[in-house]
Amino acid sequence: MNLVNDILAHVNFIGAMALFVIGLYMVVTHSNLIKRIMGINIMGTAIFYFFIAVGNVEDGAPPLLDPDGNALTFINPLPSVLILTGIVVVVSITVYSLSLVVRIYETYGTIDQKEMAQIEAEDDD
Amino acid sequence: MIEQLPIINLILLLTTALVIPLFKKQRFMVTLILSFVVLFIVWLSALYLLYHVNTTGAFYYRFGGYSPTIGLELLINPFSALFTFFVITLLMIIFIYSTADASDGIHEREYGRYYILMFILLFAMFGIIYTNDLFNTYVFMEILSITTCAIISIKRKKKNYAAAFRYVMLNEMGSLSYLFGVALLYMVTGYTNIELVFQGVQDVWVIYPTNIIIAAIFMIVGLGLKAAIFPLHIWLPDAHSAAPSSSSAILSAIVVKVYLIILVKVLFSVFGITIIEALHIPSLLMVIGAVGIVMGSFFAIAQHDIKRMLGYSSVAQIGYIVLGIGLASSLGLRIAFYHVFSHGIMKSVLFLSVGAVIYQRNLRKVTAYNGIGYMMPLSIGMFTLAALGMIGIPLTSGFISKFNLGIAALDGGQGIYIIILVVSGILNAIYYLPIIIAAFLRENPENQIYVSKDKVPLLMIMPILILGAFIVIIGVYPAIIFDLVDSAVSTFSF
Amino acid sequence: MFQPKYKWYDNFTTLTGGLIILGAIILVYVLAGLNGSFGLNNPFERFTMLKTLSEFKWMPLLIIFTPAVGGGIQLFFSRKTCYSRDTVVIVMSFSTILMTLLMYPTALDGGQLLSFPGFLGLGLSLKVDMLSLVMLLITSILWFLVMVYAHAYMIKEKRCNRFFFFMALTYSSVLGTLVSADLLTMFLFFEMMTITSYMLVTHGQKEESYSAGYNYIFMGLLGGFAIFVALVLMVVYVGDLSFTSAIVALQATGSIRYWIIGLLVMGFGIKAGMAPVHVWLPRAHPVAPTPASALLSGIMIKVGAYGVLRVATSYYFPVKNTVDSRFDPIWLTSETIGFSIIWLGMITMAIGVFLALQQSNIKRMLAYHSISQMGYIVMGIGVALYLGYYGAMGFAGSLYHIINHALFKSLLFMVAGSVYLHTRENDMYKLGGLWRKLPLSATVALIAALGISGIPLFNGFVSKTILHHGIVEAYEYGHASFRYAEWIFIVISAGTVCSFIKLYYYVFLGKMPDIYKSIKPKLNSLDVSMAAIAMMILFIGLNPSLILDLFIIPELRVISYDPQFINTYIVGMSVFTVSDMSIMVPIVILGFLIFIAGTKFHLFHLKLPGWLRIEYIFFYPSFHLMRGACRLLYGDQCPIDKKEYFKMDIKHNYDVGFLDRFVVLSHMFDKRFEKKIINSDALIYTILITLVIIIMMFV
Repeated sequence: MNLVNDILAHVNFIGAMALFVIGLYMVVTHSNLIKRIMGINIMGTAIFYFFIAVGNVEDGAPPLLDPDGNALTFINPLPSVLILTGIVVVVSITVYSLSLVVRIYETYGTIDQKEMAQIEAEDDD
Repeated sequence: MIEQLPIINLILLLTTALVIPLFKKQRFMVTLILSFVVLFIVWLSALYLLYHVNTTGAFYYRFGGYSPTIGLELLINPFSALFTFFVITLLMIIFIYSTADASDGIHEREYGRYYILMFILLFAMFGIIYTNDLFNTYVFMEILSITTCAIISIKRKKKNYAAAFRYVMLNEMGSLSYLFGVALLYMVTGYTNIELVFQGVQDVWVIYPTNIIIAAIFMIVGLGLKAAIFPLHIWLPDAHSAAPSSSSAILSAIVVKVYLIILVKVLFSVFGITIIEALHIPSLLMVIGAVGIVMGSFFAIAQHDIKRMLGYSSVAQIGYIVLGIGLASSLGLRIAFYHVFSHGIMKSVLFLSVGAVIYQRNLRKVTAYNGIGYMMPLSIGMFTLAALGMIGIPLTSGFISKFNLGIAALDGGQGIYIIILVVSGILNAIYYLPIIIAAFLRENPENQIYVSKDKVPLLMIMPILILGAFIVIIGVYPAIIFDLVDSAVSTFSF
Repeated sequence: MFQPKYKWYDNFTTLTGGLIILGAIILVYVLAGLNGSFGLNNPFERFTMLKTLSEFKWMPLLIIFTPAVGGGIQLFFSRKTCYSRDTVVIVMSFSTILMTLLMYPTALDGGQLLSFPGFLGLGLSLKVDMLSLVMLLITSILWFLVMVYAHAYMIKEKRCNRFFFFMALTYSSVLGTLVSADLLTMFLFFEMMTITSYMLVTHGQKEESYSAGYNYIFMGLLGGFAIFVALVLMVVYVGDLSFTSAIVALQATGSIRYWIIGLLVMGFGIKAGMAPVHVWLPRAHPVAPTPASALLSGIMIKVGAYGVLRVATSYYFPVKNTVDSRFDPIWLTSETIGFSIIWLGMITMAIGVFLALQQSNIKRMLAYHSISQMGYIVMGIGVALYLGYYGAMGFAGSLYHIINHALFKSLLFMVAGSVYLHTRENDMYKLGGLWRKLPLSATVALIAALGISGIPLFNGFVSKTILHHGIVEAYEYGHASFRYAEWIFIVISAGTVCSFIKLYYYVFLGKMPDIYKSIKPKLNSLDVSMAAIAMMILFIGLNPSLILDLFIIPELRVISYDPQFINTYIVGMSVFTVSDMSIMVPIVILGFLIFIAGTKFHLFHLKLPGWLRIEYIFFYPSFHLMRGACRLLYGDQCPIDKKEYFKMDIKHNYDVGFLDRFVVLSHMFDKRFEKKIINSDALIYTILITLVIIIMMFV
């Protein structure tokens, strides 16, 4: 029972870790460039999730100006703020890598990393 | 006024990057002059800041006057002032070179864009070095990696795209690992400000060791990926060889070093010496550094393309710096910092002189250098000087690095690493010497015995000569650098 | 159009002849004045200006920079003619002789320390004491004469500008090595010497010079790194690098002290051609142009010996006047070191002579003799260390032999060069009867051969006798096994005699092949310089005590040897005693016997089996490892170049060196793994991070 409670108490963290591993798995196993980018995005999401989960306070109210004044605890707003920046960064990286994929498709004619490696090897010879 | 100088620098760099596209392409000269003036101003202020912090002490710049618990903070101490000065000095010299050699594979339309990227790059590096906030570091790191990637892919060639994609992907993984570490630290300390995190980590180290261990691992591996520490160097040779010559110099000499500087900050300012010693991170770093030194050189021997060879040589030289950091003593850190300078200068000379050879003769094969020393005596002469420095011949800065690293290693009871230094010297000789020998002692069908002048623009040859002079100056009289480095090392507590 | 004719009375020869005569007069005047012979007074007391000049503080620096600056001026003049360039060369080398002589009084007082704190981190320092001065004097005189020779020799070669430029730089670094007063400075100049002299070795730009040069530079770098490690050890364990006694600090380090001296002996020994690290020498010396090989064999290998002598007698000896007995435990370290160095020297001697007897190429043979003669010097150094308090004889012998060997070996190389210049032939079996055509070369060759064989009245006899005294003392005062060392010494001397009988017989005597009948020798600056060196050999042979009194004994008194011992045995020592001269009788007879036996039974053409080569023994395991690694990577199919892969399979490693195979191995490794590593980018990250987590969590 203890174990279940522990898991339930940390479900956010475990979920974040699981997402991270899924993303990593995608990056490692797939040779399709777009899928790899998706993997990286999943990894990023995992970490954002983790970060926000850190800021979570149980039974906390959203950190807004409270007209009623009856909320005692607030959720820590700082992680959310940081993660907003983080999301922007990851989006821009994603956009950039997708544009690179377009270029790669134009020059190599493929977006599969294995085929790219083959083409490069042929070019070298 | 002085308190505002760091932020003025940052704003100036960013504004210049925004202003450059406003000029017409025909007015390329204006872009260059403007860029140079801005670089020079920033250089002067970096110099002044260096002087200032070394005489009157460190100071903080707080954005909007928020308290460091929630606000951003720049810390200008001897350490950050020294490295910003290093970055801007080297970049300014390479900038002069790039004005003449921008044609290396870059489309004429994109000259201006190249300089935009250069300024954003500089902005990001200044930010990384100045900032005293872990999350802020992450943001600057991402700006840096996306800009670097753009610089790599600015040459519209197949290989550049592939290299750039690999670079951006791996760097993103590195950044995310770093961010994960920051999150774990935030979880236990509640801050992202480096000094407050340091306090917090020391307090909670006993209660939440798992968090801190995993944070340390993710941060170090992430930064290692970005700094191309040996088994994670995979992206480096392709990226550095594909980029235009001047950018290869920037990437190898400066950008990679910036990540190592963050690594130093993370290790000694965030976790502190007691924790990382308890986790055996120093010995792990030393082993990785040593393996990197040997394997980097071993791969470099096998390269046919000279720029790839130089890339692998960088991997080996990063091993030196990691070894110095791993010694986790003030002697070791001192020599790691010195080698940042020493390798930065030597590797820029190597890349730039190879760039000059590519410019004049379009030779990239290692075996094609026969008799070229008589056609381009200055460039190849400086190449020789830098290569001898890499081998560790006295009178060059490479010898000082090697010698002091040996002393630091033995002093820290790690005498075994002296053997690595010797092996690395021999391996470096195996791949640098044949090129030099071929350049000066082999016959070339079109070789005249008589020496002719280099047929490259003066603006390309001057930076190479200046940097070559630096190799000798800091090699003969290292106290110039050591004095500054010592005060930088003293900002870390051991 | 006027072409400067190559005549003996051309302006250049007149100039050099004049300079040589002037130099000889100055030398004789100064030396005789210092010695008080012929009723001459000490010139430094007579002319106060000389005394003042002698105390000029920057003199050591000036002497280092003179040739280097000369190199720069040369490059400027070389645009016009080689005559003006060579005039600069000659004048620069001549002025170094004068500067060296000027420093005599200060050197006699122990020398002035000129230090540059902060340079290279730990500071550099220069000092000229007596040991340095002896080396400087012989170096500068010989360099000057060889430069005179080089003018006439190089005039027909290509790329002489480069040759003379690097000659000047090498000269600078040799001088720097000799005047340095601490190990760091010495290392600095030593490495510079390796690099600059490389350009001389490979000057010919033939395939063999590349391979010899490759061998030379890598052995040189290896030696440099050995010294480098010793330097690091010294800095950390002793702290003081200047050449003063460090034995107290060293004794506290346990076995580190043997590591330090071992690395230093290896580092300097590689340059000195000490066995078993001599492998580069017989290849590099013959392929260099003759003036360079004369200097490589005459001077540069001595610098290695000088290095060993310098570090061993300074670091490992106690401070002067602190001990007064040879049984003081402070000598134990140097005794152990000396014991091994004596036997190293013995092995070097034996290998050198034995292999020299097998050679047919004159220059190769001379190179092997350099190894053998270095064995004598190294043995002398060994005795100087082994006997500790009583080691003065060994020190004197090795220092004296350094001087003598420099003279006769460079003369022999110059004769070989002169023969080559006239006949274009280096194989001694294809020559003969040349004394009729080249009478002067034949005469000086005879003098040099008698010198190297150690015949009385020639210089080699003096130093070999002192060395013989040294080894006899080694078994009288020390270990009984040195009795055998003495026998070996005698046999090897006989081998030397034999091999020079052979050389002289095949080159200058015997029947002359018809193709050389047309040689028309001319007198030129080649002969002038050779004659000058021959005169010096005779001069030393006839006045052996002059150098002992003026240079060697003052130096011995500075070192912490027993002053009583020096006064009794070395001051006023006469080598022309019946007992000393009678040793030469069996040696010469034995030499003749070996020669006759050798020609009768064709012993000089033995082909040694490949596995006896030093390289083979050294690298055998690594070859197999590398070949095994290649097999493992690729099996028997070769994906790269058939020729490349073939290099791994050649049984005899003489053609394919260790480095070549290493490079091939790295290419294979790269071809096989590089792309795979790069393509498995994220995987490496994952593996690494998992590994590190596992390590951190469970350790």
